Amino acid sequence: MIKILAYGILLFWLLAVVLGRLFQLDPNQIDLNAILHTPSAVYWLGNDDLGRSILARLLHGVEVSLLVALSVTAVTMTVGVLIGLLAGFYGGRVDQFLMQVTDVFLAFPGILLAIAFAAVLGPGLLNLMIALSLTGWVSYARLTRGQTLSLRDRQHVLAALSLGASVPRLIGKHILPLLTSLLVVEATYSLASVMIAEASLSFLGLGIQAPNASWGAMLRDGVRYMLVAPHYVLIVGMSLMSLILAINLGGDSLRDHLDVRQEAD
Amino acid sequence: MCLIYRLLLGLPLCFILMLSACKPTNTSSAPIIKASSSPEIVFAISQAPLNLDPRYATDAASERLNRLLYQSLVDFDAHTKPQPSLASWQQLSPLSYRFTLNEQRRLFYYPPSAEHKAKARKLTAYDVKATYDSITALSDSPHSAEFSNLKNIVVLNERTVLFHLNAPDRHFPAKLLLGILPAELLKSQHDFARFPVGSGPLVLLDSQNKWRLRRLDDGQRISLIEVKDPTVRMLKLVHTEVDLIQGDLPPESVRYLQAKPALTVKTSVGVNFSYLGLNMQDPQLKKLKVRQALAHAIDRQAIINKAMLMHSRLGGAILPPEHYAQQQTLPAYAYDPALARRLLQEAGVSLPLKLVYKTSTDAQRLRLATIMQAQMRPAGIDLEIRSLDWATFFAEIKQGNFQLYGLTWVGVKTPEIYGQAFASDSVPPKGFNRGRYQDAELDKLLATDNWQAVTQRIHQQLPYIPLWYEGQFAAMQKGMQNYSPKADGNWDDLATISAYAH
Repeated sequence: MIKILAYGILLFWLLAVVLGRLFQLDPNQIDLNAILHTPSAVYWLGNDDLGRSILARLLHGVEVSLLVALSVTAVTMTVGVLIGLLAGFYGGRVDQFLMQVTDVFLAFPGILLAIAFAAVLGPGLLNLMIALSLTGWVSYARLTRGQTLSLRDRQHVLAALSLGASVPRLIGKHILPLLTSLLVVEATYSLASVMIAEASLSFLGLGIQAPNASWGAMLRDGVRYMLVAPHYVLIVGMSLMSLILAINLGGDSLRDHLDVRQEAD
Repeated sequence: MCLIYRLLLGLPLCFILMLSACKPTNTSSAPIIKASSSPEIVFAISQAPLNLDPRYATDAASERLNRLLYQSLVDFDAHTKPQPSLASWQQLSPLSYRFTLNEQRRLFYYPPSAEHKAKARKLTAYDVKATYDSITALSDSPHSAEFSNLKNIVVLNERTVLFHLNAPDRHFPAKLLLGILPAELLKSQHDFARFPVGSGPLVLLDSQNKWRLRRLDDGQRISLIEVKDPTVRMLKLVHTEVDLIQGDLPPESVRYLQAKPALTVKTSVGVNFSYLGLNMQDPQLKKLKVRQALAHAIDRQAIINKAMLMHSRLGGAILPPEHYAQQQTLPAYAYDPALARRLLQEAGVSLPLKLVYKTSTDAQRLRLATIMQAQMRPAGIDLEIRSLDWATFFAEIKQGNFQLYGLTWVGVKTPEIYGQAFASDSVPPKGFNRGRYQDAELDKLLATDNWQAVTQRIHQQLPYIPLWYEGQFAAMQKGMQNYSPKADGNWDDLATISAYAH
């Protein structure tokens, strides 16, 4: 049931993005006569503090959120997995060095480090993605390194090694495929946390810049008018919550699906 | 029997006498704070005062509170003309002024926290001299430069003091706005920033978590609490946790408060001037036609009507029309995107003209910037908004690292501001000519003090794009009386505010 709900919400948002593109809703169309209007037949979810359509901005915002989340996850996963594989496979000094670097990044609270980077690099979409990527690879590196340490001594890896397989082949053909399911589950959780981080940075004014829509910036604006126009903050808050919840539930169900022990039970 | 009777009567009498002997007597002649029966008035402010030493205070909250803690020699009337406050003055020669203290001067109040609890006394000419001598001697005071023209100060008697200048300065009295400090505490390097000792209508009792004040005349207690978030400030007012708030709310929130029957909202016109600053070194913005195009590309009236506080009005110059040096209404640049586009084409600009607009992260500033961005689009101007934290933003403006920026002049009183903001030699750090504007014609006019001609020249040449004077408001519980918002946002009415005892 939960699985259906999660996939349903995800499907709904993906469909919404496609439909938003199809209907060419303009998220930046200002209408000073419709400032903070409640939902109506013309504006289904009402208007924001500049009279722009909340629906159009929400759809544009989810597009930005997904773009950031997918890009950052792809970059962090690639970097993290590569570092983890190298550290785990080679061990010794390479492992020690790479893990010390990882520990340095782990020592900082991720979002604070991202805030510091975003502040130094300046606000903007690209800088936001760089800031989030700089801190997001650590969990992948740790996870991959731990798994690789145990996998490298498996019989099939040793057999391939004795048959003269090269290191890239060993890693690419004999270790990495065994990590895929774990990494996919980790990536789903990472998607949700990147979306929250993006919203947080935009909420603080360090993310997407005006007039572009992002859920964090919309939340920030909505909070200012919480008493005057509660529909604004509620709609954005509920949307963000539903999407994050759906991604997390999706991740849970994926983990359950890939967990062989549960199948054995 | 008689003895017992006398003892029964006498003992309580002795006890009462002993108790009264234990009570502290008012041996010093310190000003007595009357006990007030009315409840404490809580005022929620958006930014806490940073420094209560008038020689160092520069932030708006400190300046506003210092006006209530200290007395100054001079103040301004409704037309922003300097008028006697603590003293009247006479210009004896172009280089000397005589100030005579009047009877409005009060006693200095020495709170228990003051290191030197001197015998209370009235403010004298010696305190005036000590205060201004002190500020000219300070090297780290932001106000010292204003008094660099001061040669010396001579005290004639307890009420009369002479100020001698190095060079003639017709606006000198308008600069004497600093709160007067007691001479003996200045000598002992008293920490006025935390323990202010003044002769104003209010005294600061402590500033631990909130600024607890007491009015000397009737003992009314007033507390200032810092609540940065506008929504929280508004909620505290609605839920009667605070009695008064002023400014720093979006217009929609003010309208929401106006609809609350338990609250009173008062509004007034403002004099704080908002403008778009331009970098005159920029190859495009150097051209007058481009600047005129910018002025015609913003529908300021629509912004005022829809996204600003009541009583906000179009701005033409830094000083408002009611200022004695202004006294003229400058023709407004009408919103005409077609004309703006034509002007840009005539200036040889390839459209769209890309410009970067820097502003702070303040939500209302960003909101207004976004509206301007949309309004400029049909004129062929592609405005990119960059919001920066206040410190970075202001540092970049001072360094001239911008194309366009939005700022507000707050608390400007004298027409000298035109020289400081636009004279060719007033580039920071010497002055406020942040746009690096160079105009020999204007420099000549500034030298003549012909302010009307100066403002007209600025209005024609557009070294900035004038926007508006934002209105002021104060929202309070229904029981509050004798408080209204002032055009410059000061808190002077805290000297008179009262609350019904429920």
